[in-house]
Amino acid sequence: MSDYEFAGGVVIENPYPVDQVKIIQAPLPNHVVLPLQQRIGDEAKPCVKVGDRVLTGQVIAQTQDQFCVPIHASISGTVVDISQQIIPHKSGLKANCISIESDGKDEWIKTQGCGNDFLQCDRQTMIDYVQRSGIVGLGGAGFPSHTKLNKAVDCHTLIINGTECEPGVMCDNALMQHHPREVIRGVEILLHITGAKKAIIAIENDKQEAYQALLMFNHNDKISLAQLPAKYTSGAEKLLIKALLGIEIPSGGFAADKGVLCQNVASTKAIFDAVIEQRPLISRIVTITGDAVTPVNIELRLGTSFEQAISLTDVNAQAHDYRMGGMMMGVDIVDIKMPICKITNCIFVNNKKTQQLAKECIRCGSCNTVCPIGLLPQQIYWHAKGKNIEKCMDYNLLDCIECACCSYVCPSHIDLVNYFSFAKALHNKQTADQHKTDIARDRFEFREYRLERNKKERAQMMADKKQALKEKMAKDKVQGQAQKDKIAQAMERVKKNKEKNA
Amino acid sequence: MHNAGLSTNQIMRQVIYALALGVSASYVFFGFGVIIQILLGMVSALTVEALFLALRGRPVLESISDGSAVLTAILLAISIPSIAPWWVVVTGVAFAVIFGKQLYGGLGNNPFNPAMLGYAFLLISYPLQMTTWPVDYLSFSQVVDVVFNLLHFDGISGATRLDDVKTSLSLGSDIATLQLQSISQAWINIGFLVGGVYLLARKIIFWHIPAAVLSGILAMALVISMFDSQTYLPVQNHFLLGGTMLSAFFIATDPVSASTTPKGRLIYGFLIGVLIVVIRTYGGYPDGIAFAVLLMNMAVPLIDHYTQPKVFGRS
Repeated sequence: MSDYEFAGGVVIENPYPVDQVKIIQAPLPNHVVLPLQQRIGDEAKPCVKVGDRVLTGQVIAQTQDQFCVPIHASISGTVVDISQQIIPHKSGLKANCISIESDGKDEWIKTQGCGNDFLQCDRQTMIDYVQRSGIVGLGGAGFPSHTKLNKAVDCHTLIINGTECEPGVMCDNALMQHHPREVIRGVEILLHITGAKKAIIAIENDKQEAYQALLMFNHNDKISLAQLPAKYTSGAEKLLIKALLGIEIPSGGFAADKGVLCQNVASTKAIFDAVIEQRPLISRIVTITGDAVTPVNIELRLGTSFEQAISLTDVNAQAHDYRMGGMMMGVDIVDIKMPICKITNCIFVNNKKTQQLAKECIRCGSCNTVCPIGLLPQQIYWHAKGKNIEKCMDYNLLDCIECACCSYVCPSHIDLVNYFSFAKALHNKQTADQHKTDIARDRFEFREYRLERNKKERAQMMADKKQALKEKMAKDKVQGQAQKDKIAQAMERVKKNKEKNA
Repeated sequence: MHNAGLSTNQIMRQVIYALALGVSASYVFFGFGVIIQILLGMVSALTVEALFLALRGRPVLESISDGSAVLTAILLAISIPSIAPWWVVVTGVAFAVIFGKQLYGGLGNNPFNPAMLGYAFLLISYPLQMTTWPVDYLSFSQVVDVVFNLLHFDGISGATRLDDVKTSLSLGSDIATLQLQSISQAWINIGFLVGGVYLLARKIIFWHIPAAVLSGILAMALVISMFDSQTYLPVQNHFLLGGTMLSAFFIATDPVSASTTPKGRLIYGFLIGVLIVVIRTYGGYPDGIAFAVLLMNMAVPLIDHYTQPKVFGRS
């Protein structure tokens, strides 16, 4: 029963299916690396030093930036290093990280939340707990939850995104099956915070176990469950809102503008933990899948290295290709020393394959039939290849959500999305350069104007002075004449007097 | 990135397979000449393509295996008379591959349909050879003699069917007898129609262009027949004469030179259909497909620009 329709998108069978979706608890890692830079906002500043003993859940770095959340120690132990390490980024970027060596005790810091009676707490206190517990969007975007909650003032509908449309990823599915109570309670907390009238939990119709589990625990009239067609890009926020509510968020706009708030199911569960007991987010469920492993979900402490995580599976001994994030929107990685972070939902471990070479685009138009946004990827590709960014903009490049459906169906094996992110980067650079040029030109023009103005002012001043001098001289002349006259008169008088006297 | 469905090479190959039925029908009615023309075309297309790829410093085997040159050769070879001298198809295919494709940068970069460019080139350069079709079924040795210039083809040849029909109609012949003569053309068209339906079923081509071409033909033929149903070709005959089905399913659907937006494909196809009928009826050439397609190829950038689909979140 799925009455919801999506334009575009592709139906992709899970390439690595499992009979039962389980969650394995990973043993405590010996060593964790926690990056200080988050998805957006400033880099956090460490509030511990090398050699300090930290407890699990203790805040180890913080920032004043309102978009950011604090960073917590994910194990108890000793801070051994604060230095640049490889972080999970497609470029293999290095950034500042705090490394902690485990003491094996996993001693938790004492915290207290609203407790089970959360209805007593007010909205702001709850949002505060969410921020202090470090909750961000766990679906892959990593957008801080408290920012979304603060923005959702006139929220009428809450959408809990449990679609998990990326083929192969099953961590949200596992979470819904194994923590349905927490998810439902989390939704109730969100309803309380936002004051929304209703909440819809969206699940793809190929996840029946998760659907049934949530249905069993849902006793709230405000919360309903919606089954969506199992089709990739069903989970993209704006497309999901359109399918469920028929509301189309304008290009460049936000869901909050239309009174809708979207949260991922895993984030909802994390919000439950944060509000009830102020339990910080220090672990997450990661799917490890691919043709070199038996697919599993493992609950891992943040900061565990990919390498360590993969070693917990039955990985074969061949050479591998790695990918983090989903099959469609994830990125290929080379180094697996990088740490698991809040947005690491999935790791693909595949046997090494030779890549298919791209051929020329034959404009077959398969891409524009699958584009959920209604773009013409073949046209944007043509212009992106020619670096004609202006033309790319005409074809609405910036509306591209980089879902990679176009790359997936391209018969010429062109990695279209790569061209689009390149064109976007080029656009950003051009805009920044243009801004700089504009500033420079404004400055230059002002300088010219200023010089001209000074010149004019000086000329005016000189003219005024000259005029004043002239006037003065004329005056002096008149005065001088009067003086002379006076003198002459006086002389005259003297002369007369002399003559009289004589 | 993982991939689904057919690759570009497989698509080209599927299109070639889909041509088989129509080609077989041609063979049945016109004899070995059809096969000889195709073979000559394929050999020259591959040779010229390889030469130009090498000159352009491109990987020869890698690019030649895409099948596009072979497809161009077949489309052109089945469009020209089966008894045309060998140098007609060779120069035509060479022109199509060199000026129609390689000089623009190879597959995917050509604004014009290469096969139709080759056809137009041949029709203008060798009007006699391009409009002389056999009247009877020819044996293998006869065909070889004619194609390789060993025998002059007077006596075994006649005008192109459509041309013939046009002339006869204007002279007041009976339409019924003409329809009987056109039976071979009808079967060939049906062969290509079936091949086209196969391509649609395999989702190798979209329905928009064939449907639009055929409705364009229908619309224009109806308009013309309203003026005078005696002097002009009857509406239904437009569909089974000349290269109608070949053009609707195989030529106008060449993705590279066609419009690429859904709405644009409809406009592009419809106007091709209209132009085909206009040129057939009023033009100096027997059939109007090549010129109709080339004219619309020129309009593609404009059509694409004004038929962009609605983008999510924009009005």
